[in-house]
Amino acid sequence: MTDAYRIEGLHYKYGDNSVIDLAQYEFQQAMTHVLVGPNGSGKTTLFNVLSLLLKPLSGEIYLLGEKVIDENRLALRRRIGYVQQRPYLFNTSVFENIAIGMKLRGVSKHLRESRTNNIIEQLGLNSLKNKRAHELSGGEMQKIALARTLVLEPEILILDEPFTYLDKAFSLILETLLLNIREHKTQTVIISTHDHMRAHLLGDHVSSIINGKLIDESTINLIHGRYLSDKQVFDTGKLLITIGHANQETSIIAVEPNEIVLSLHELDSSMRNRFQGHVTGFVAYDDRIEVSIDAGEKFHAVISDHAMKELDLEIGSKIWVSFKSSAVKLVN
Amino acid sequence: MDYFTQAFLSAFKLILLFDTELYYVAWTSLKISLISVTLTAIICLPLGILFSLNRFRGKRSIQNILNTLMALPTVVVGLLLFGLLGRQGPMGELGLLYTQTAMIAGQCILIFPIILNLVIAGANTADPRIASTSIVMGANHYQKNIIFISEVRFAMLAAIVAAFGRAIGEVGVAMMLGGNIEGYTRTMTTAIALETSKGEFEFGLALGFLLLLVAYIVNILMERFNRLST
Repeated sequence: MTDAYRIEGLHYKYGDNSVIDLAQYEFQQAMTHVLVGPNGSGKTTLFNVLSLLLKPLSGEIYLLGEKVIDENRLALRRRIGYVQQRPYLFNTSVFENIAIGMKLRGVSKHLRESRTNNIIEQLGLNSLKNKRAHELSGGEMQKIALARTLVLEPEILILDEPFTYLDKAFSLILETLLLNIREHKTQTVIISTHDHMRAHLLGDHVSSIINGKLIDESTINLIHGRYLSDKQVFDTGKLLITIGHANQETSIIAVEPNEIVLSLHELDSSMRNRFQGHVTGFVAYDDRIEVSIDAGEKFHAVISDHAMKELDLEIGSKIWVSFKSSAVKLVN
Repeated sequence: MDYFTQAFLSAFKLILLFDTELYYVAWTSLKISLISVTLTAIICLPLGILFSLNRFRGKRSIQNILNTLMALPTVVVGLLLFGLLGRQGPMGELGLLYTQTAMIAGQCILIFPIILNLVIAGANTADPRIASTSIVMGANHYQKNIIFISEVRFAMLAAIVAAFGRAIGEVGVAMMLGGNIEGYTRTMTTAIALETSKGEFEFGLALGFLLLLVAYIVNILMERFNRLST
């Protein structure tokens, strides 16, 4: 299958600050990719580059198999639908706003009207249809921005924090729609969110974005601190984590959730990192369960249903978290 | 009935009875101002957008000069053009002095900095997301500029209304370049000045009311047009 995006040596800077730094990365086609990361991690800049709004300072982007160059930029951009985090609605009616992308692509008036009416119906936006865009609230604007992008049925759909201003009812509509896209593999979707649970619910593939670098979903246990080279440990201020050799400047590590072992008693094993904590939450996915533990630092471990039953865990249960130094990845 | 009340009543009578002379003067004013505003807007609207969207050396200095020219005295414009178009002037052979063309040229010069400056100010304060949203929605370069113009149309209309107000209400250019010739270059403002000096206070007052009415109607039309255009 062709990649929706293949990125090579992509860099973007604001002044001296590097906000995107991707040596090589692929977004597979017809998959839902979710990017999780804090504010200022480079999500929006990456989305602006992926939507071909911003040109990277260096590097190449291959979009749906085609190398992006000035000559094909507009044509490729029209295959992408991008909803920005703070969308701007044009100073016309809601209906005109939803139809504008089709108008710019030369879709006939008749087809524009019928597709606009369909999406309004599908998303339950009838009450807003005849309003002027600038009369809407922040949440309503977000809905219209989503509608005007979804109506284009783009091959690639990029949504930057789409749930931020949405009410619960519309969030559910959007989640259902995105799950439907994911199930039928009709479009490539790239979403950013702060919400880990939602990321796992919606995504085929979840990545964390830290300082412009994309880290695989497994590395959701991101921990900040400093490396003490003499002891070969990573000092988080609350825990000392044995990590083997690292760079003196290492400031973020990630612990593979699948490699965390949970036990009711301290294990007598070769795993040098053993911390006692308590269970703070659970999230169930198909046949596995993500357990959240507070052991000074917050850890997420992924265990099977069977292991869950054996441990008989509940919120507040005392638990031991153990992992090898090889389960630790150096992020930054 | 006192003199003032009597004058008001006579003025309304002239208006309501559609006095031919009164309405011809009003029509001349309206025609000259509308032509001036249209011609100047054709140049200044795109020029203002281009000015706002592009960076170049001396941009700030030009804007300072434009700001200064906003308060350009009408008699100064009249004086300069009088010098150019008068028989002794370099363009005297054209025979344009005391014609409607000369009045239109004068008004165009007068309102040029007003429209240009207000369009630039409107475009400069436009939401920076307009351009990025247009691109994201799939606009090419031409479509992006059209959308931008559409989004700043309120500023453009405000500039046109302000310029029209300045043109229809000015007296210096109309008097010096038009010469207040009855049935040809006599406008509402020059007629008010003349009739009042002749002691025809009612006629001047009636023209004053019409002047206000015209300004009001133009504003209403602009607002309606703006609503229709969206």
